[in-house]
Amino acid sequence: MAAAAATKFNGNVKKALAGLRRINLEGLRWRVFDAKGQVLGRLAAQISTVIQGKDKPTYTPYREDGDMCIVLNAKDIAVTGRKMTDKVYYWHTGYIGHLKQRTLKDQMAKDPTEVIRKAVLRMLPRNKLRDDRDRKLRIFTGSEHPFNDRPLEPYMMPPRKVRELRPRVRRAMVRAQKKAEGQQQKGDSGKIARRKKESLLLETSASNHLPSSYLGFVCSGDEFDCS
Amino acid sequence: MTRIRRGYIARRRRTKIRLFASTFRGTHSRLTRTTIQQKMRALVSAHRDRGRQKRNFRRLWITRINAAIREIGVSYSYSRSIHDLYKGRLLLNRKILAQIAISNRNCLYMISNKIMKIK
Repeated sequence: MAAAAATKFNGNVKKALAGLRRINLEGLRWRVFDAKGQVLGRLAAQISTVIQGKDKPTYTPYREDGDMCIVLNAKDIAVTGRKMTDKVYYWHTGYIGHLKQRTLKDQMAKDPTEVIRKAVLRMLPRNKLRDDRDRKLRIFTGSEHPFNDRPLEPYMMPPRKVRELRPRVRRAMVRAQKKAEGQQQKGDSGKIARRKKESLLLETSASNHLPSSYLGFVCSGDEFDCS
Repeated sequence: MTRIRRGYIARRRRTKIRLFASTFRGTHSRLTRTTIQQKMRALVSAHRDRGRQKRNFRRLWITRINAAIREIGVSYSYSRSIHDLYKGRLLLNRKILAQIAISNRNCLYMISNKIMKIK
């Protein structure tokens, strides 16, 4: 299985293993982050603390001692609000007038790993250790990776405190629910309508967009499974 | 007035400075006027950083204690543990706590369990 997974990964094996020799210590752990359904910035904050080694009591600011971080399912990262279309990455090439920009959606289409990499890199302190820390971060679009023979440790994200819905958003969501229920009664089939209702609120990973209503929903455990 | 040569006074002063700056890099240890300036800067830095040193070490201890404490529970953090310490009237300072965190992690867990239970 591991061999099959590794060979399926042939295209990027070189890039994935690049620079591994430069990383000195191998007393480091290999932590695996699953980005599926995680909010971009919150995941990046956790990754950056792990990469800096700040979760170890032997942390030293001048020594690079963080664990190797592997991020899987980068294409399933989620963002709140309208960031999918509205978040713009800007960069300047150095030539006058050449300020370039690209939206999140285009970046995800082009290279989803860059989204997480930018997010984490911009959260690291800008010092001489930043490049070494970048080398320790390996991001993969899917859930296959060529590191299956290492001792991997999955990373448990801390539970999230989702804030309560704002009144206007809540009213909009209630209206959407009622509309869905109306359509369900017309459609006259229980299962399909329930799936439809759920899909209205929990938009699937295909669109990678958590509407603000979902994120504001307090986990009451009544009906929706806030995972 | 008779002519007076200054003799070795200036040279003695400058050799002292040169000795101080003898390990500096390049012209900073070779050229007199440069070494005088560099010695001044070095002493200023040392003076300022003696105060900074105390701050830096406290930061480092706090980071280390935070790292060790967070492994105890999900939402347990440095701030809560310090609050518990003060509530339990335990006088351990951050330096000692950080040292305990590195050398004897179980001891730290024992301490924190005890103070968590106080009220």
